[in-house]
Amino acid sequence: MLQIMQNNQPTPQPHHSALQHVTGQSVFVNDMGFGGQLLFGRVVFSQQAHANIRSICTQQARAAEGVVAVLTAADIPGLNQMGPVVPDEPCLATDQVSFFGQAVALIAARTEAAARKAASLVNIEYEPLPAITDLGRAIAENSFLTGPRQIATGDVGKAFENAEHVLNGTLHTGAQEHWYLETQSCMCVPEEAGQMMVYSSTQHPAETQAIVAQVLAMPANAVTVEVKRMGGAFGGKETQANHIAAWTALLAHATQHPVKTHLFRDDDQMMTGKRHRFRSEYRAAYNANGCLLALDVALHSDGGAALDLSVAILERAMFHIDNAYYIPNLRVTGQVWKTNLPPNTAFRGFGGPQGIAVVETVIDRIARTLHKDAAEIRKLNFYKNGQSTHYGQQLNEVRLEKLFGRLTDFSHYPALRRETEVFNKENEFIKKGLALTPVKFGISFTTSFLNQAGALVHIYRDGSVQVNHGGTEMGQGLHTKMLEVACRSLGLPPERVIVTATNTSKVPNTSATAASSGSDLNGMAVKNAIDKLISRLAPIAQSLMKISTDDALVFADGKVAPKGHPDKGIAFDELVTQAYLHQVSLSATGYYRTPGLFFDNTAGKGTPFYYFAYGMAVSQVQLDTLTGDHRILKTYIVHDVGDSINTAIDLGQIEGGFVQGVGWCTTEEIKWDDKGFLTTHSPDTYKIPGVRNIPEVFEVEIARDMPNPGTIQNSKAVGEPPLMLALSVWLALKDAISAVGNHQQEPPFDLPATNDSMLKWVEEMRKLQ
Amino acid sequence: MRNSGGIVRFVLDNKIQEVDFEKLQLSPTTTVLTYLRQLDGHKGVKEGCSEGDCGACTVVVAGLNNRGTLEYKSIDSCLVFLPMIHGKQLITIENLAVATPSQMQLHPVQTAMINHHGSQCGYCTPGIVMSLFALYKNHTDPSRETVTDAFTGNLCRCTGYRSIIDAALDVCQHPAGDHFSAQEEHVLALLGEISSDETSLDLQSRGQRYLKPFTLEEALLLRSQHPDALIIGGSTDTALLQTKKNITLSKILDLSAVDALKFIVEDHRKVSFGAGTTLQELLEYANDRLPYLRDMAAVFGSLQIRNVATIGGNVGTASPIGDLLPVLLVLQAQVRLMKKDFQRDMPLRDFITGYRKTALAADELISMVWFEKPGKSELIKTYKISKRKDLDISSVSAALRLTFSKEGKISRACIAFGGVAAIPKRATQTEGFLVGKSWDRATAMEAAAMLPAEYTPISDARADAAARSIMVKNLMIKFWTETAGKEQIFNASDYAK
Repeated sequence: MLQIMQNNQPTPQPHHSALQHVTGQSVFVNDMGFGGQLLFGRVVFSQQAHANIRSICTQQARAAEGVVAVLTAADIPGLNQMGPVVPDEPCLATDQVSFFGQAVALIAARTEAAARKAASLVNIEYEPLPAITDLGRAIAENSFLTGPRQIATGDVGKAFENAEHVLNGTLHTGAQEHWYLETQSCMCVPEEAGQMMVYSSTQHPAETQAIVAQVLAMPANAVTVEVKRMGGAFGGKETQANHIAAWTALLAHATQHPVKTHLFRDDDQMMTGKRHRFRSEYRAAYNANGCLLALDVALHSDGGAALDLSVAILERAMFHIDNAYYIPNLRVTGQVWKTNLPPNTAFRGFGGPQGIAVVETVIDRIARTLHKDAAEIRKLNFYKNGQSTHYGQQLNEVRLEKLFGRLTDFSHYPALRRETEVFNKENEFIKKGLALTPVKFGISFTTSFLNQAGALVHIYRDGSVQVNHGGTEMGQGLHTKMLEVACRSLGLPPERVIVTATNTSKVPNTSATAASSGSDLNGMAVKNAIDKLISRLAPIAQSLMKISTDDALVFADGKVAPKGHPDKGIAFDELVTQAYLHQVSLSATGYYRTPGLFFDNTAGKGTPFYYFAYGMAVSQVQLDTLTGDHRILKTYIVHDVGDSINTAIDLGQIEGGFVQGVGWCTTEEIKWDDKGFLTTHSPDTYKIPGVRNIPEVFEVEIARDMPNPGTIQNSKAVGEPPLMLALSVWLALKDAISAVGNHQQEPPFDLPATNDSMLKWVEEMRKLQ
Repeated sequence: MRNSGGIVRFVLDNKIQEVDFEKLQLSPTTTVLTYLRQLDGHKGVKEGCSEGDCGACTVVVAGLNNRGTLEYKSIDSCLVFLPMIHGKQLITIENLAVATPSQMQLHPVQTAMINHHGSQCGYCTPGIVMSLFALYKNHTDPSRETVTDAFTGNLCRCTGYRSIIDAALDVCQHPAGDHFSAQEEHVLALLGEISSDETSLDLQSRGQRYLKPFTLEEALLLRSQHPDALIIGGSTDTALLQTKKNITLSKILDLSAVDALKFIVEDHRKVSFGAGTTLQELLEYANDRLPYLRDMAAVFGSLQIRNVATIGGNVGTASPIGDLLPVLLVLQAQVRLMKKDFQRDMPLRDFITGYRKTALAADELISMVWFEKPGKSELIKTYKISKRKDLDISSVSAALRLTFSKEGKISRACIAFGGVAAIPKRATQTEGFLVGKSWDRATAMEAAAMLPAEYTPISDARADAAARSIMVKNLMIKFWTETAGKEQIFNASDYAK
């Protein structure tokens, strides 16, 4: 009956906060004030990786100037627990610490400087215990957080027995610090009747609410969490924003003052978890054409001192061990090991990058041994429609060949390959490298029940609209997309619609804004709410226009009109006024759950993903083998986002995700010393990509004419998949190192490929000559 | 208006702001960032790292240049103490747009950032916009290299930078006037009001003392009266003691306003840099004239840091990884040390006496650094290896210089490396080996093989000892490939050409 007209926007809508961003008016948690009553929180954390706490002396700190409260575990009114999945993370350490950076005590003071000073006055006496800070040692000592898991298909044993070619190896992939520009922060305001208002920089307001309620021994309805925006998150604020919220809430509760805590950069880096480092042992069987016959992989994940989301992250690594390739016989096992390091956590890609790096290494090695171009081997092994993954999900809309065709054209891949070879023949010390890598990324939370979202849409009497939804804005443009979904559904211009801060009192029981699912889930929930409102407004409109209830309506250009008669329409605000006078509710909740998802953990089979997002990249690099410096000369990307809701935002996600992946693959190296102290605890030593670390030629194309039916506006998720395209840079660097030995030897290679590592690998290659 | 000793004055929001540290019980080493963050109208400036590595706190400082006009410079407000901007105009993100009763008129750089979708989470954006604003005020139709140089001090974790670069290239192509141009006369008048006399500032508050002379005579006098004061030029290193290590800086002697220390003089024989010359001034001067200094200065910190950091500070800090030190060592630079009524020159080699230790006497200041220009028959190159090419600290830095005899043999070799010993150090044995040799592949390889033994690298967060030894060896080979071999040059200034 109803038909909604599409808003044809010639230029994409800017980020909904763009004006505030560029004028400095965007308010982040640390910009919030609260008059003279506001206190500043600070966390006193463990200086030992593993130790018994003999005593905690807070006397001096309490007596220090400006200090209002010093809290330890004994002061927690509720449960001393903040583990998001299993209760294995005390909010404040009691008798033992299990990583350097673990919270032990809390301080609230009248100034930030007083809080900082007081922190140094808390005297903690430790009795050191043996610490495991190395993944290899954790495995050797059988120190684990979970038992092994497995997903398998085909007959791996037999495939290896009959194989023409077999290769095996071990790949180490490094940790990565999120380095959101805004460090973890939270402000809590105690309210009457013991209630607590929490202004948080969290990706998961509902869980933050639950954890705050838990430590304060309050019911969830007494805690409200609001998120205006985050200054970046990337997974780092999915569970670990709960921590600072719990600590700040404890201080606010104890002092009955508003308290704000904003982690100092180095403290944030030392206290919070990272992308999991993995050690992956692999064995692959293939034939003389380079066709993958079998893959057998053991993934060892460094979980740190507590479980956090490590199981789901490992699971996603296992789901992505095939990446874009059909492997008839595949076995992947995985285990999360326990070390005395901060609990590792979600990070854009969520295990996907670690899994994909393994199979891309395998393909790269197959190509090298067969003296073929790795891009050919990739194409040969691409999934085809109708084939099933190792976890039994059938693929029906595989877009790999299409993307490959477009990308190799767009990048002039064959010419780039020839140019690279000629250059390398002519240059002894500077080498170029080239690689093409695909990504196939499963979209949905693999914990199926999490795939649900809610929205709350209000239409006010003047016809202005407020959209609330459960997703959070961390820069990814979710609110902009939701604004566009609402505008398109209601036929209103963007000035008439506001997307508000995320608030647990408006939309409860939400999932984290994570797994690239923000637009998919919340977009459908917003649309659901608006559909309800439209179905309430339609009869009023039809009666006002004196047309039949069977006549279709079009909501467009701020008006409602009979289909085909835009001139006969009435203004949207007039319709709203009439609806109000007719006692029609102008507020509706929306809800969405992704249909048809399930996964059987024991069998390792199911349909964990609603669909897959595809992308592909070609990168050419130049490596100075004498200094280890590299330049990314060219990167070409073709990415599948379905029908883009906002091309500018999607482009920003693709480019930004790719560059973040480049950081993981190259300059970002995390080092702990043997005492569990993070030596790379500031941007002085931890180097994320800067403006000159991006490809010198950087061309990204959003694949056209590839709608994704069954999702909001036929779009696809885009947050995480592009990050993995950075493996093209990583393998191009390997190609350059391999050129040192004229591609006759397999170069030593791990991730990240830092300049000093590459110098050592080049040195080894030269010794082999 | 007279300097009344204890009050710092600068222009902010088109007004002269006065900060009386004692009255406000404000620490005189309060950073510009901390000061701005506690004001109501300037929370757009963000703290991202407190060490000048992320640029979220970037603001622009406008000061009078020697042409009598305003010069706009981006700085990291987290590293600059408030008294350092005395007599200047402080411009923050909030000052760019003009609010009229009916609407907000954006600055062209802000409009460009919106149109090019240059912001995502928005946290780095104020700093990015301020760097872009400074670029806009200083360049017309800048090259991609100039644009990216303006942003090496700004980290963005969301966008991947492409949109920001595009915004900058676009808006700077035809920069038009803005309200800052229109207000320049007014601001110049205000600045003139502030700096009408040259009485030193003496700020005392919260147990700290901050001395800020404006003349060399006053500087030398204060130095002799306060030998215990920590001397700062740009404070980019010293500020970290406070922001990162939480150390109270009890007494500061700030030389940043001593104009007599800011000069570059070159004659046919030598080049002299006043100790107060900023790294950016050095870079701009060296650009076409002194490639060996340019190559090092080009990868020194970021534009925000180079805008305040001084050559005197780099030499006086005597850090083992001080970027300029290896090249100054091979240039056999002299450090001029000055006290009241006396001055002496000392070779840099003797001036650095140990890890961050120098021969500077308690009543002396570094007034300049000078060196004789290399001759035409000399080869000289500088290198810096770091994990990230820009805004990073060297894992290894190097300067190599060869002088040739008429017969084409090496008559003198000067080789210095930083980052591989407690001080930047010459490689005397390898230097000796090279003398009398032909500069060919065999010589280079042999020299490269013997070099690592002259150094004692350690493993740290930046690189391990083994990698550093490889770097030392390789840089000798690289020197050869770039001077005698056929390899194409590969360094920072090569970027994006």
